[in-house]
Amino acid sequence: MDRRTALRTLGWGGAGFVLGGLGDVPPALAQALRPAGQAADDLAWNSGGPLVAYPEKLPLIVLTDRPVQLETPRQFFRHGFTDNAAFFVRWHLDLHPNAIDLSAWRLNVEGNVGRALSLSLDDLVNQFTPVSVAAVNQCSGNSRSRFEPRVPGGQWGNGAMGCATWTGVRLRELLEMAGVRPGSVEVQFEGLDRGRGPAGRGSHRYPKSLRLDDPVLDDCLVAYGMNGQQLPMLNGFPVRLVVPGYFATYWMKSLTWIRVLTQPDENFWMKTAYRVPADLRAGRVATVPITRMPVRSFIVSPDGSARIPAGLPATVRGIAFSGNGAITRVELSLDGARSWREVRLGADHGPHAFRTWEATWTPRAAGEVSLAVRAIDAQGEVQPDAPVWNPGGYVWTRIERQVLTVGRSA
Amino acid sequence: MKGARLAAVLAALVVGGAPVVQQPTLPPGVVRAGEYRVSPPAAPAPVVRGAVYDAGPFPLSTPDLAPGEGRDATVAMCSVCHSVRYITMQPRLPAEAWQATVRKMIDVHGAAIPEGVAQQITGYLLVHYGSSAR
Repeated sequence: MDRRTALRTLGWGGAGFVLGGLGDVPPALAQALRPAGQAADDLAWNSGGPLVAYPEKLPLIVLTDRPVQLETPRQFFRHGFTDNAAFFVRWHLDLHPNAIDLSAWRLNVEGNVGRALSLSLDDLVNQFTPVSVAAVNQCSGNSRSRFEPRVPGGQWGNGAMGCATWTGVRLRELLEMAGVRPGSVEVQFEGLDRGRGPAGRGSHRYPKSLRLDDPVLDDCLVAYGMNGQQLPMLNGFPVRLVVPGYFATYWMKSLTWIRVLTQPDENFWMKTAYRVPADLRAGRVATVPITRMPVRSFIVSPDGSARIPAGLPATVRGIAFSGNGAITRVELSLDGARSWREVRLGADHGPHAFRTWEATWTPRAAGEVSLAVRAIDAQGEVQPDAPVWNPGGYVWTRIERQVLTVGRSA
Repeated sequence: MKGARLAAVLAALVVGGAPVVQQPTLPPGVVRAGEYRVSPPAAPAPVVRGAVYDAGPFPLSTPDLAPGEGRDATVAMCSVCHSVRYITMQPRLPAEAWQATVRKMIDVHGAAIPEGVAQQITGYLLVHYGSSAR
């Protein structure tokens, strides 16, 4: 049973934990089980783990169970905002919180500041002006399973992303209140998760840092609200950092320490991990920390799980986003990325959010059709149709395809 | 045989896929962290104490690794920091990739794996989860 069949068979009503005893589908088997006629580049949209319901969550696809990494199934991207209960989860260290006592928890702003701060959730909610932003949170390794040659790491399909309205306090306001002192170069963020590796190693703590002169700091929020509710424990309750436009590695969950540094952060998660070639397309060897998300777009439905009758108008729907500015145009191809036509864009929720799109298409003749989608952002950046390989398996941006089979209607 | 005995001792450290390892000191505000169960209750016990927010334990769905020489050492060592679903999730990796991964766990992440055991683990991963497996 492949994932698509599995999802269809199981439906969404189940409330159990491991549903229906669905086991893992090894990649080779998934390949063999592809519906007949499916093109080799028509990859499974999601990864192939079991569906399991976690606390505060609907059944999601398990990549790993300790620490927890969960992928959002394709169906949840039919809308421009992703339900909290369906939002993907990616922890690095296995001692991430099950239970938090807000009478003891404080957000600490410290380091090279004039006045260190220690703020309760109540302080954050009531002493600052709430600010909201709709923004996409996407894992750096989203779609890693598409790299060829394959790359070790979290074998995500396309579901390590989501869009929410985040509400909280401006990072700038906290830094101004604490007073950043001269000689500061970076600001470090650390959450409550811990690992069982030795102190000083990446297996023990997961801090991430941004340069103090990075303009993205102006957009950052310390968010206590996610789509009008508190954050699920697995998505970083009580607060997480929101870095609009940047990959999720900086969006620190259960954010508890904000430290102003006088030296560049050289911890494992900055110096070794989450780095990409300085010039991705030229494949240069020097690496830099990963930052903004290049433009991407996706076909959400139809998903190829059923044949489409010729002559019946079908609505093709999907989403697009970019970390480099608003989506200005989305184009659909009905001939495997040879010719393109513009599609209708849905509601605009700001430059950092998912932009939904749709197109009506009436298949004329029975046979196989290869749909493809590409988006263009405010910088004029167009999605490439060539895979850009890098050893970390980050920043996948290639044009997505969906092969559909059209059947006769009489 | 010495390796096998060591592996057996290591395996004894692991119960139900979760290792019995001393937890580091938890940061202030954390009531419980890293609590996982094979079959947790369908809903967490309601906590009505003031400011405690409790999501309950996280469900484990750790697969059994393929039987074979080196499995016990692999389960024991890798499970200290993460479940072996990290292994079964990977594509069939070439020998260099598995060797580099085991070295990374030791050299970068500080896994306390004796050299002989590391070789046993790498050999096991190549045979059962390598690109030329099966």
